Amino acid sequence: MCTVTPISMTVGANRIVPTIAIPHPLGNPALTPEEEYALRKKLVSRALEALTTEVKDQTIFEV
Amino acid sequence: MKLELGFIEIKDIQFSNESKVENGTLFINADAVKEFVYQDDDVKACVKSVSFDIAKPGESVRITPVKDVIEPRVKVEGPGGEFPGVIAKVDTVGSGKTHVLRGMAIVTAGPIVGFQEGIIDMTGPGADYTPFSKLNNLVMVCQPVEGVHQHEYEHAVRIAGLRAATFVGELGRNVTPDESKTYETLGIREGLEKYPNLPRVGYVHMLQSQGLLHDTYVYGVDAKRTLTTIIYPTETMDGAIISGNCVSACDKNTTYHHQNNPVVADLFEQHGKTLNYVCNIITNENVYLADKQRSSDWSAKLCRLLDLDGVIVSQEGFGNPDTDLIMNTKKIEQVGVKTTIITDEYAGQDGKSQSLADADPLADAVVTGGNANMPIVLPKLDKVIGTLDYVDKIAGGHAGSLRPDGSIEAELQVITGATNEMGFNRLSAR
Repeated sequence: MCTVTPISMTVGANRIVPTIAIPHPLGNPALTPEEEYALRKKLVSRALEALTTEVKDQTIFEV
Repeated sequence: MKLELGFIEIKDIQFSNESKVENGTLFINADAVKEFVYQDDDVKACVKSVSFDIAKPGESVRITPVKDVIEPRVKVEGPGGEFPGVIAKVDTVGSGKTHVLRGMAIVTAGPIVGFQEGIIDMTGPGADYTPFSKLNNLVMVCQPVEGVHQHEYEHAVRIAGLRAATFVGELGRNVTPDESKTYETLGIREGLEKYPNLPRVGYVHMLQSQGLLHDTYVYGVDAKRTLTTIIYPTETMDGAIISGNCVSACDKNTTYHHQNNPVVADLFEQHGKTLNYVCNIITNENVYLADKQRSSDWSAKLCRLLDLDGVIVSQEGFGNPDTDLIMNTKKIEQVGVKTTIITDEYAGQDGKSQSLADADPLADAVVTGGNANMPIVLPKLDKVIGTLDYVDKIAGGHAGSLRPDGSIEAELQVITGATNEMGFNRLSAR
């Protein structure tokens, strides 16, 4: 899970889930706590899904 | 747009009852500067005290923690004033005539973020690594009011420095310059007609805008809230771009760097001879991927729209801005415009690690400002302006950097301007 996916690609990560921003990858201070929880859950769920998906090449799992 | 810079050489600074520039000496009444600085409400609210000191080339003086370095200038003819949108009212600058107090600077010092300010040594090995050791510096040490927030204090010290520079610059208004130089940027069609056979070259100037006190301001606008745009090079000579940055000292662009951008100077030098210097494109370095994509898309679009043949791209800072640098370079190359980038390196103390966090085969013309991880030892100096309290914490320092004998062992990163990515300093590699 990473904000700057081009760097993830450069360093050779296999499964990449794009996140929010460098200072707050899994949160967003502009949201309410409830909205932020939902956002975080969505990102983590996507990451778990990525982990259980077979990949042949470097893959970005868009959220 | 045409600007004449009149350079007034300042060879010495002395405290005095009267403030004036005479025969190359700046006489300054520190109380008068202080009074002018404190006319600002934010300074009043956030800065408990300002003390002034003078540091001259060759003196056994260490200045730290350094926030910004500013060159005093004054607009003597034409619209607007220095630091438009911040000190002067918003009005397009970059034309007419400006007087420059060359050979001196205002240096603001004080613990803002602590670990993200720098060191300027006026003598010894440290002095070789910073361009500011060669200037006569009027140093302002600013102490915060207790309980003030970091960002409010940063803003207040930024304004305090700019106001002091404005006060001092004003002293050069009626002084006859020692040397004058004129810079002119033509309109697109004029340029094409006048230099039909010269390559059209632009400058993509990346501005630090990561937020959380990593900010640059353009006509008073926070650069992270801007889209990539065009600016006349001479506008930057009138303080259109200022630093609000608390980032690693070695490769942050101080306001002085923006005023004296060497890429601008060198491109003007070649303008009409080997190339046609079309304009500057300013773009930001934000922390959201969407912003990085949008801003770099825009850089490439403008390069293509302006029918440029080549651009120089300069970076500010390191780490994730390396991605902005590579995205800009890649996209600009892909629209058929050649690039050369200026950056610096974090290649480890032995210089053997990967220099940048990102890379691409299209970024095949690179100028380095040096390796910020290089270990250095700075001997104890007789006098400290500011405090040594933060030396162990400054980026590039470590626990024990300040040794019992008063010397400092750290990485080059601690020195203000050491690996500047506009190429302002003298370090590089082949």
